[in-house]
Amino acid sequence: MKKSLLIVVVVLFVSVCAFAKTQIRVSGWGNTTEEAALQEMVDVFNASQDEIEAVWEPIPDFSKQIKVLLSAGTAPDVFFCDIAWFPELAGQNAFLPLDLYIKKENYDVEAFYTPLVDAFKMNGRLYGLPKDFSTLSLFYNKAIFDQYDVEYPEGQMSWDRLLEICEEFKSKGYDTPLTVAADFNRVIPFIKSNGGELVTEDLNTAITEPAAREGIEFYCDLVNRYQVAQEPANVGGEWIGDAFGKEKVAMAMTGPWTLGVLREQFPNVMANTGVVEMPMQKEPATMIYTVSWTINRNTQHKEAAWELLKFMTDAGQQIFVDRTGVLASRKSIADNDTDPMKKAFYDGAAYGTPWSVPTPSGVFAEANDQINSRLKDLFYGKITYDQAFEEIKDHYMSWVTAE
Amino acid sequence: MLLKAKTREALIGYLFAAPIILSVLMFEFYPIITAVFYSFTQYQPLQAQQLNNTIVPEDTLSMNLMVFPDEPGLTVESLQDDFDLEFFIETDVGITLSERQREALQYFNTERLLTDFLEGKLKEEVSIKDFMSVYLKREANLFVKYKPKIVGLENFAKLLDDQYFWLSLKNTVVYTAIVVPIQTFLAVILAVVANRGIKGRQLFKIIFFLPAVTSSAALSMIFKLIYAKPGVLNKLLNLSVDWLQNPSTALIAIMIMNIWSTAGYFMVTYLAGLQNIPKSLYEASEIDGANFRTRFTKITLPLLRPQILFVSTMGIIGCMQVFDQIYFLIKNMRNITLAFYIYRNAFEYSKMGYASALSMVLFALILIITFAQKKFIKEESYF
Repeated sequence: MKKSLLIVVVVLFVSVCAFAKTQIRVSGWGNTTEEAALQEMVDVFNASQDEIEAVWEPIPDFSKQIKVLLSAGTAPDVFFCDIAWFPELAGQNAFLPLDLYIKKENYDVEAFYTPLVDAFKMNGRLYGLPKDFSTLSLFYNKAIFDQYDVEYPEGQMSWDRLLEICEEFKSKGYDTPLTVAADFNRVIPFIKSNGGELVTEDLNTAITEPAAREGIEFYCDLVNRYQVAQEPANVGGEWIGDAFGKEKVAMAMTGPWTLGVLREQFPNVMANTGVVEMPMQKEPATMIYTVSWTINRNTQHKEAAWELLKFMTDAGQQIFVDRTGVLASRKSIADNDTDPMKKAFYDGAAYGTPWSVPTPSGVFAEANDQINSRLKDLFYGKITYDQAFEEIKDHYMSWVTAE
Repeated sequence: MLLKAKTREALIGYLFAAPIILSVLMFEFYPIITAVFYSFTQYQPLQAQQLNNTIVPEDTLSMNLMVFPDEPGLTVESLQDDFDLEFFIETDVGITLSERQREALQYFNTERLLTDFLEGKLKEEVSIKDFMSVYLKREANLFVKYKPKIVGLENFAKLLDDQYFWLSLKNTVVYTAIVVPIQTFLAVILAVVANRGIKGRQLFKIIFFLPAVTSSAALSMIFKLIYAKPGVLNKLLNLSVDWLQNPSTALIAIMIMNIWSTAGYFMVTYLAGLQNIPKSLYEASEIDGANFRTRFTKITLPLLRPQILFVSTMGIIGCMQVFDQIYFLIKNMRNITLAFYIYRNAFEYSKMGYASALSMVLFALILIITFAQKKFIKEESYF
């Protein structure tokens, strides 16, 4: 009788211990390759832990979903935060500050590229560790260049040279050498390269100033005036990288995520692809897109979440970089990354602009939509530059201030 | 049983209906009422959970002061010098303070907090509202539940100045004005055709009805391919127009798609109506020498009146709320509809209050149009 009671107690104890693992939910997004890599990272983390069990829960349409989940109090414990909407969520205190853990453990944030860490700071607090980053570079298809006997583009070539190459293609009967999107973030390198700024000191827009304006006009002229570039959908591609992979264009300005897609879906094109730094006018410019690992302020398992964060930005990042071809945010991992195709992207980190426009409300989404809509109108000649810039100037503040 | 049979029966009836009543109350009434309320506020969804979050006060203070309580030589006075209460509450505890809450901070017992910190009494994890109620001497009730800032009619006033509100309203009205008459009439024709004794009419019915049972996401994807620049439509017409990207054709493209996909659904309604028209009327008219056209305009159409009213009402409501096709296919702000603009404001621009105000306008608009329509087209019966 006593013995069986003991067994029952022991069994109960063991099962309680087994269930006592702290479970933390991890969410983000990614294409199929990235998701498989993330699942592997979580599995490797779980295998290294006795106390913590992480569960990977991908969320589609993440940026909208996460806001809904956060306001309902059901958001995951650890999730990705894109630099583009970091200011809004951080401004509403959605993230747990990491400063205490960094101080307690003397955690070395210097191990990451500084602009990437600074991008996730607000009010003197650090809210995320950079997961990885991307920059934009110019992709070109050597086979098409050879076929039309056009000289390959060089890194940091001038805008005039870019136009020259395009017009040479056109004169030789290749109609659309370049694909561009009506996306404000793709225009920013052209603004910055010409010495323009995005915002003024009082957070009003600076893109209507002459230097920025010239950059935007050059970008739109490629489509409307010189007619050497088209939107990807116009040439039969889903997005820029897709149009490039399907060999609908000879050149495209896109990020390292395109390398992974080319490798998997268009291996023949990949073999003929060259990547050089973005074209420039007065100074070199590119975009830096980055995503961080952040902890939900609402989490019940703060310490466990921090453990996961440390793993994900170290051994985890190694797995992710190896499998997906993104750029490592941790310098030691980046140093080991000697893929020649990635060189132009890493080089861009030195002078790139993080994709985040400071606004009074922390929300740039509305202004982004409004500007993109006008870019599209400019592509199709629906409005003149004067109209577009005047409208932007008049309404900008109402797009970036809270209700 | 003490209850009367009738009461009992009623009770049992309600019991059976309870699931639907409850779900309507929960998922229809409650959201509608809250949306009305939010339209007068600056509701910020991300702040809704702030007071429910938990903190370990000791950690939070350590982070703010950058000292740990067991470090030697710390006194309440020395800590107080570096302590910025408002910054501590807003950034480290994590409450976006309203004006009233900011004022209430004058009742915060900083001394007690710092004393407890040094005595190591703050190691327990607590919810932020409990934390505030302990250290606020007065007005702790301001920190119990998130209350959105009430702005009265400000959201509605802002509507008038919003160029995209007018644009989306115009698009919605144009869309409805074109789609509803065509789809209503086309459905009548489809129904009459499908109702005649032609060969393979079952097959036609299936073909016409098929779009109605296909998910609109799938339809959108198919039409995306059809409308693409290298797509089927351009090949057939020998054109090179990017139907969905070009701001002047995009809305028309969506209209065509929607007419095609809903006409079959409404056809079924008319088919039911056609079954109700007595054959004798047609026979009598035939004897009188009426041709097909006269029979259609003098018998079929008038007797289908109740169905036409129903179809046009449902059509108007559906068109005014058109969202999914716009969401999937339209990339241009020039071609957005009101429902889509509401979604954008609520979930992308974080202007929940403004979005609620917009949805009130849409609601009022649909209500007025439907009432007007009911008044002008009388639902008479001929039998």
